[in-house]
Formats: sequence, C-alpha cells, structure tokens
Amino acid sequence: MDISKDILLEIYDRMVTTRFFSERINEFFIKGIMHGTTHLSVGEEASGVASCMALDKGDYTTSTHRGHSHAIGRGMEVIKIMAELFGKVTGCSKGKGGSMHLADFDKGHLGSNGVVGGGFAIATGAALTQKMKDTGKIVLCFFGDGASNEGSFHESLNMASVWKLPVIFFCENNLYGVSTPVSKSMNIKDVAVRAKSYGIPSYIIDGNDAVEVYKTTREAAKYCRSGQGPVIIEAKTYRYLGHSKSDECEYRCAEEVNRWKKKDPIIIFKNYLIENNIANQIEIKRIEDKALKEIDLAVEFAKNSPNPPLNALTEDVYA
Amino acid sequence: MKFEDYNPLEEKVFKIMDKKGKIINTDDMPNFTNDQLLYLYRTMLLSRTMDEKQLSYQRQGRMLTYAPNIGQEATQIGSAYALEKEDWIVPSFRELGAWLIHGVPLKNIFLYWYGNEWGSHMPEDVKVLPVSVPISTQLQHATGIGMANNIKKENNVVLTYTGDGGTSGGEFHEALNFAGVFKAPTIFVIQNNQYAISVPRIEQTASKTLAQKAIAYGIPGIQVDGNDIFAMYVATKEAADRARRGEGPTLIEAITYRLAAHTTSDDPTKYREDAEVEEWKTRDPILRFKTYLENKGILTKEWDEKMKKEVENEITSTFEEIEGKADTKIEEIFMYHYETMPPILEEQLKEYKDFLEGGKNNDK
Repeated sequence: MDISKDILLEIYDRMVTTRFFSERINEFFIKGIMHGTTHLSVGEEASGVASCMALDKGDYTTSTHRGHSHAIGRGMEVIKIMAELFGKVTGCSKGKGGSMHLADFDKGHLGSNGVVGGGFAIATGAALTQKMKDTGKIVLCFFGDGASNEGSFHESLNMASVWKLPVIFFCENNLYGVSTPVSKSMNIKDVAVRAKSYGIPSYIIDGNDAVEVYKTTREAAKYCRSGQGPVIIEAKTYRYLGHSKSDECEYRCAEEVNRWKKKDPIIIFKNYLIENNIANQIEIKRIEDKALKEIDLAVEFAKNSPNPPLNALTEDVYA
Repeated sequence: MKFEDYNPLEEKVFKIMDKKGKIINTDDMPNFTNDQLLYLYRTMLLSRTMDEKQLSYQRQGRMLTYAPNIGQEATQIGSAYALEKEDWIVPSFRELGAWLIHGVPLKNIFLYWYGNEWGSHMPEDVKVLPVSVPISTQLQHATGIGMANNIKKENNVVLTYTGDGGTSGGEFHEALNFAGVFKAPTIFVIQNNQYAISVPRIEQTASKTLAQKAIAYGIPGIQVDGNDIFAMYVATKEAADRARRGEGPTLIEAITYRLAAHTTSDDPTKYREDAEVEEWKTRDPILRFKTYLENKGILTKEWDEKMKKEVENEITSTFEEIEGKADTKIEEIFMYHYETMPPILEEQLKEYKDFLEGGKNNDK
C-alpha cells in the first residue's frame, strides 16, 4: 500500500500539532492559567492521528478522556479546541465541556468522553445506524487498555460482532490504567486476544509507528466497509506524562519512560519521511513552524473570547 | 481429564456417557459407589418431579411464576456434586438440582417461589446465596466470595451459574476478568440451554463456542456435554481441584437444553420447532442415566417405582406445610434490607399502607 506524500505530510502536521498543543496545555495547567483537568497524549500521537487519517470523509470516531490527538487527527480546528479548554463560548462545546467534550459532528467526531469505556456503546450504535441506512461509512472507537475491562466493552463488542456492524475498536494500549499496569488488571498480555470472545479478527501493532498505524487502519476499514463486521486493533504505545494533570507517575521508573522516549513516534516518523525522500528538513521545519503558529493564534483567540454567560449553564442539556 | 485436551476453538466437547447411557470414555469415568449413583438418580427424580408439581400448582393458581429446569438436571446436579459442604454456590434462578445437592431444604424452595422472603433464608450450614434474578449479576458476587476466600486463606471454592444469554452481560466480563487476574477460586458454569428466553444461541454471540470466551481472561474454558452427569461431575471436580491448588478460575460451558418453557409466562412454541424439542428429548439426561443404571443392574424397576412415590410424597407434604400459611406481610417487603429499618423505608412503608387503605376506601 502506497501512501501519498500529501497524506504523509498531513499526518506529520497533525502529529506535531498534537504534540505542541499538549505541551502548551501542560504549561498552562502548571502555571494555573487553565483550570479543570486534562489528559495529555504526549507519546501517543502516531496511534491517535494516523488512525484518524486512515478514515474516509463521513466516517465516525468516538474518543476517550485522552482525546486531543483524536480531535486534531479528525481535522477539528485547533482554535475551537483551545477555546474549549479555556472554557470560552467560542469552544466546540461553547466552553462548557472542556477537554473531555471535544466533538465536531460535521467532521464525524462524536466526541471525547469522561467516562472510561463510555465510547463503546456510542460507537456501536453509530455503526448500527450506518448499517441500517446503508451509508457505506464506518466508525472507529478509541479506547484504552483499562477500558477493555469494562462491561460496556464486552456488551458492545458482542453486539457489534453478532450483528456484523462496521466498527473498528482501536485500543491505544499505553500499559497503564492510571497507575495500574496492564498485568495487574487482566490475566492476558494482549487486549487483542479478546477478539476470540467475539469471533472477530484482530491486529497487534506498534502504535508508535505512524505508517503501520495508517496501513493497518486502512486495511481494517476496508474489511468493515465490506460488511464483514468489527475488528480490534491494538496499538502498543506509551504516555510520557502523567495520567492527568494531578498524577506524578510515582508508579513507574524513569528508565521505562526513557526507553519509550527512544521510540518517540514523531522522531520515528520524521526519520521515515527524510530517509524515504518524502520531505526534507526545510519542509519538516515549515510544518512544525506552521503548527506552532497555529497554536499561538489559537491561544490568542481563546484568551480574547468571552466566558459563557451564567444562564448558559442550563442550556444544551436537553433538546 | 485435562482441560488442555479440550480446546474449545477446535470444538472438542468433553463427554463420558453417550445418549444411550453407554460409557464412551472409560479413562475419565468417576468411581462412584452404587449408593452414590442411586443418590444422584434420586436427586434427579426429585428435581424433575418438583418441576412438574410446581408447574401444575402454578397452573392451578396455587403458586406464582416458576422457572422449570426440565432437561438441565445433569448439568446442575453433576456440577454441584463435585463440591464440598463448605464450598459456596452462587445461583441465578434455574439451579434447582444444585440447590438440592447442596442441601437447600425443599421448604425453602417452595417458600421462595411462593413469594416469601424466608425462602432465601438458608440454614447456617448451607452455603448457597439467594436467587439472583438480574441476569449475570451473581457472577460478580461469586468472584467476590472467591477473592475473600483468598484473602482469608480459606481453601473453599465457589460454584456459580449463568445462562447462554448471561454471557453477553457486562457483569460476565467484569467478573471473569477480576477472577482471572486475582486468581479467584471460582468455577463459572454456563448452562447453555440454547435459548435466552426466545433468543437462540446463534443470535446471542458471534463466537463459535461460549467456552472460548475464557481466552479473554487467561483462564481455561471447556465445553462439556451438559446432559451427561458423569462429564459434568468430572469437569467441575477438576476445576475445583485447580481452584483449591491456587490456580484460579475455570469456565465450563455445559451444552444442554431447556425442554420446558423459560418460565410459566412463556410459550416456547412461538420461537422453536417441535422437532427440535423432540430431538433433544432423546438426549434427556435422566433417561440416559437411568438406562446406564439399569444396564449395570444397579437400578431395578421396583426401586425406581418406590423412589418415584417417595419423592412425590416428600414434595406434596412439603407443599401442604406452606400452602396458605406462607403469605408475605406487607412489612416484609421493607424489613430485610437493613438490620433496623431506616426512616426512608419507614416512610415508604407508611405511604404504601396508606395507599392500600385508600384503595379500600375508594372501593366503598
């Protein structure tokens, strides 16, 4: 499978945008400029972005609490995401949702979600809609290793498989459910073996390799689109920062973090682009500068946007 | 027997006795005395007769809703017989045979189906939890008791049941995952009776077998002929031995069939063919076991007749003990959740009583 230069560079663009965005958010939280909480995807940019890029226009995604890479991966405007995190009316959820309510229905992004395992049933329902309306579109459902122990995982995968629904269940296995290592929350090494429970195919891939993520997701999407039912993809990856802004990572050692940093998804992908003569240093630099500038503009935009009025509190809850 | 020899992905089913009562797997045949064999047969008769009686009482308006076990006696009795007295049984609602084997008095069973809370009040030495009506929620209780056993360093095991439909519940997944990772000494028996009310097994899940769901939890899973009492006993015994050795949980899929309706409010002719039912009748677990016992000269016609009368008398006299004498008082609905009734329940009780009074007044 050949991937066009445009797509490869767009993947790189969205990956570095996610990285810079996340680092900036981290800084704002540390300085007390931004409030609430957030879960950053630093280290997980390849799995989050390259998978979204493998989808077609009109396909759907459901995200998790760690959803910045997915929102950016689906092409949501950074200004709307930034404004949302600042709690401003110009945010994608009018400043009332924050990091865990990043959604853009026009882009097919059904949203990040504060409930662990909250996306499974939404994705399965969305996939049922595609099947019943015969739209030819598919759904990609992101989830973590910890969420695969939830009852909603089982119920959704069971239903999706028995009804042959077009959904890719995409596990970003970052080895920890907050502080609990995978080995202490399940008696199996790979989440993907759970596919056996539902009689569906599965893939285990290097989640830090954007090209592998893209190609595997394309292949899985083709399978789903052909009406054969759901697929599990398990992408092994790692988050460099804490689970959330209030986590000091006292449960894992520096050696482990450093080992993963040597497999940084952005560096791996940048080297791939250069070594295969897809982009040169100047083009790479241009993409990175553009991403940084976009974030600067988004911060300015957010800071200059108004806060939601008090009476907005009760709006948008029910139709 | 070894679980590894019965990989569910290869659709290997553990069997000892065929449907004609012939022993086809002598290596794994358990060594029961004649008394044990007759005791098992008598319990099967008791279970079957109890079902028939309760169904008829219900139709006469003398009992409430009932869920019969007809056809599933070997699954329940064979598995429960592999336990020790101190082991726990955590039932759903269709485990009459397991209750009888583990010492639940007939009176409790009648009281339960009569709608009386005291039916769930087991004698102190009977380690059986009350019926769990919400599908598959009991599995988490079973995992929890298993984990408690580990913490208390006790050597007891837990046997729990669910149906084919129950395997689709989120609780199934959470309970088996925890049991797997914490090595709970819990045995999960799926009574795959082919239908979740009216939903056939094939429409329940896309996996070829239910036993293979064990793979998701890193535990052994095995398919067993659920109408073969010997196979059910041996598989459960092996699972119990493993659990006692600290090797954790096991998933057993018992392939069986519900010959009667889901409950007294169900008409199975609406969703399944008579021919299918007739075919399964040829695999009747009691008939098969009876043929084995007769061929071995262990069961005589006289003994069989005598037993049938005996169990019938036992059932009739127990029902007479409670009929008309076990109606529940309104208070009892509110009484047993807490040691002392909290104000909120007292309020609700008063409100309910007022409502009933009001109802009477309105009638006037």
